[in-house]
Amino acid sequence: MNKKVTQIAGRNLSLSNLEKVLYPSTGFTKAHILEYYRLVSPYILPHLRGRALTLKRYPDGVAEAYFFEKRCPAHRPSWVATAEIARDNGEQMTVCLVNDLDTLMWVENLASLELHVPLARADAPENPDAVVFDLDPGNGAGILDCMRVALILRDLLAGLKLTCFPKTSGMKGLHVLAPLNQKKMTFDDTKKFSKSVAQVLERNYPDLVTSKMAKEQRVKKVFINWSQNDSSKTMVCVYSLRAGERPTVSFPLTWKELEHLESNGNPDKIQVEQSEAVSRLKKSGDLFGEMLVMKQRLPYI
Amino acid sequence: MAMQSIWSGTISFSLVAIPVQLVRAVEPGRVSFRLLHTKDYSPLSRRMFCPREEKMVEPEDIIRGYEIGPDKYITVTDEELESVSPERSRTIEIVEFVDLKDIDSIYYDHPYYLVPSKGGEKAYQLLAEVMRRTNKAGLAKFVMGEREYLVAIKNIEGALSLITLHYSEEILPDDDILPGASPIETLETARMKKIIKEMTADFNPAEYANERRKSILTLLKKKAKKQPPVTPPDIEDDEEGPVDLVAALEASMRKVKKNR
Amino acid sequence: MTGRAIWKGNLHFGVIDIAVKLHTAVKEEHIQFHLLHKKDHLKLKQQMICAHEKVPVPPEEQIRGFKQDDGRYVLVTPSELEEILPQDSRVISILEFVKTSQIDPRYITRSYYLEPDNPSRAYLTLAAALTDLDVEGICTWTMRKRSYLGALQMSGKILRLNTLRYADEVVPVSSLDLPHMSISEKELHIASDLISHLTASFEPQKFENEHEKKLRQLIDKKARGEKIVILRPRRLKPTSPDKLLQTLEASLKKVA
Repeated sequence: MNKKVTQIAGRNLSLSNLEKVLYPSTGFTKAHILEYYRLVSPYILPHLRGRALTLKRYPDGVAEAYFFEKRCPAHRPSWVATAEIARDNGEQMTVCLVNDLDTLMWVENLASLELHVPLARADAPENPDAVVFDLDPGNGAGILDCMRVALILRDLLAGLKLTCFPKTSGMKGLHVLAPLNQKKMTFDDTKKFSKSVAQVLERNYPDLVTSKMAKEQRVKKVFINWSQNDSSKTMVCVYSLRAGERPTVSFPLTWKELEHLESNGNPDKIQVEQSEAVSRLKKSGDLFGEMLVMKQRLPYI
Repeated sequence: MAMQSIWSGTISFSLVAIPVQLVRAVEPGRVSFRLLHTKDYSPLSRRMFCPREEKMVEPEDIIRGYEIGPDKYITVTDEELESVSPERSRTIEIVEFVDLKDIDSIYYDHPYYLVPSKGGEKAYQLLAEVMRRTNKAGLAKFVMGEREYLVAIKNIEGALSLITLHYSEEILPDDDILPGASPIETLETARMKKIIKEMTADFNPAEYANERRKSILTLLKKKAKKQPPVTPPDIEDDEEGPVDLVAALEASMRKVKKNR
Repeated sequence: MTGRAIWKGNLHFGVIDIAVKLHTAVKEEHIQFHLLHKKDHLKLKQQMICAHEKVPVPPEEQIRGFKQDDGRYVLVTPSELEEILPQDSRVISILEFVKTSQIDPRYITRSYYLEPDNPSRAYLTLAAALTDLDVEGICTWTMRKRSYLGALQMSGKILRLNTLRYADEVVPVSSLDLPHMSISEKELHIASDLISHLTASFEPQKFENEHEKKLRQLIDKKARGEKIVILRPRRLKPTSPDKLLQTLEASLKKVA
């Protein structure tokens, strides 16, 4: 066992198993993962701050068993920020808030390769900051089809004067989000809105889009999972690693880039891996920054 | 969530109680000839009408009545109905479990699904998983609306399915039409079994459905050529959100299509 | 007594033909209510209304349409419909055989008994073969201008035909969007034990429809003008997920 105690801003954090390989295909170790998250921390922390974290832990690497953890592990350091969330049965549950670098490092030391957060902040769990269109390709469809749908979706929302931002999920799909940042917004509103959008797209592009979850309805189509707009659902945070075979990242794309990739037709060039993520962030900054500040209203809701 | 709940209550076994909702497991298939309005090709639906006022009557103005004489009715409200068997109107109590293979398929009447309400997800999955592992179904009686049902609750693909059963008194006896026993030639039996084995495959309901749909579509091809298929007006579904939003989205969609 | 046969047909597969008569196997009877208008107790009638305009539509303004995949409808007149609808034949074609355990109850709609039309050795041979191989025959047939899909099975001493739904009429489990929870082996183990203690043999005759009797009593009471006491339905307190294990243990103690 390889243990190391670091001191960040006067706090002691014990790091363990740094040599353990968590991505066997590339030999990426826990130390590499901690380093990745340290380098992207200025960009990812604003998107994690104040949100109930769901850890997705891979203690033995991406090829082995994983588990979700919604409750903040009881053995946490005293300086980890937490919040109390009401669970469905009325009881309170303590959740972790990744508000600073130390907490991010502590969470990554627990091998939570993927970081999932809700669309709302912990202090207002029924008030989503954004509406999400989770584009999920069915059997026989792929990320290029998702990109086609994303471009149509962008134009459709533009007709309603809404700006949206795409990111790769880091696995097989795309996420398109429209920031709202309105105090009175509810998940009922965003769900209703996204469902209507999904249904209109389905009606107009029945061979490409489906709004229905049933697997048979999704064959060769892109499923717009509007039901993700719910207080009980989480999405993978932008810049989070994914536990696929390779260390891919949920990374934002500019619309120009997306158009270019879609017309190129090569799905292999789309995924962004961790080293590319770090260099692109250094060069262009947080492409998802607007998600935190832009205020928009949903029309007709 | 997207499903409409027909009934809500709790299912229980021993001391464990799970809040659930009952939803449909059967929906209109894709092979149906729907009635449309010749004016605008809107699909038609059935509604209740008052014959005297010639007006549609909303569900809240409808009451059920039992006919005791010509035009003479005894009305019964929902609450009075629930009072008849109050211990079974909102609770499905599983009184025993049986081996699935022991349930003769002649007892199966109508299928539904149960979905867990908030807080019941874990207990729901536990019950489903345990019944899957042990190959059992739970038997219970419960009252919904005007009837009391005997039901079997079983695991289907990870979900709890509730299937209403016929009471044994509703199963007609078959004694008078039974074929007599008669000696069977082993050679004939062997030959038949061979044919059957050659014709054995996996149960694939989707295949039968697709075949049927294909054959109807082929028959309709001729008609579709003579008279082009029609498009109903946009608003088909009440569930599609506010009328204005959908109209706005469709308008935006038209522009998008023009520019692509 | 089953009563007269409702239809006659021929089971057919390969070179085998077996003449049979269909009898309904189930007879349901329960109290029927009519729907009345609350204010004047007038019996309501059903009418077709236009979903778009919400007004009644007389028969001369109604036409049938078949929905294509793109959402458009192909219109058909009554005479065209006649042509498209399957013609009656007396053949019950067996398409294939499947293992009995594969047919799930969601697909079963009605049951019919099959009586051999003539004393038939083929009938008995088929019955024996189905029993030995534990399979059911998937068949199609046309009865009264409707096409049916069914399962031919041997049960006890007689062949039965169960009509089946088509796959597109069964709501898929995936559309229920059930959450995935983590359950401990301990909880599963105790629940399994509990269920073993609660297991009995399937004896459906044990269960009687008590509600019918009580419902008639209610109606009689109301007819006499007696007051009805409204009892609230019993509602159980749901077991909270954190208390699930201890509730299972307490249950086991109770029955063991």
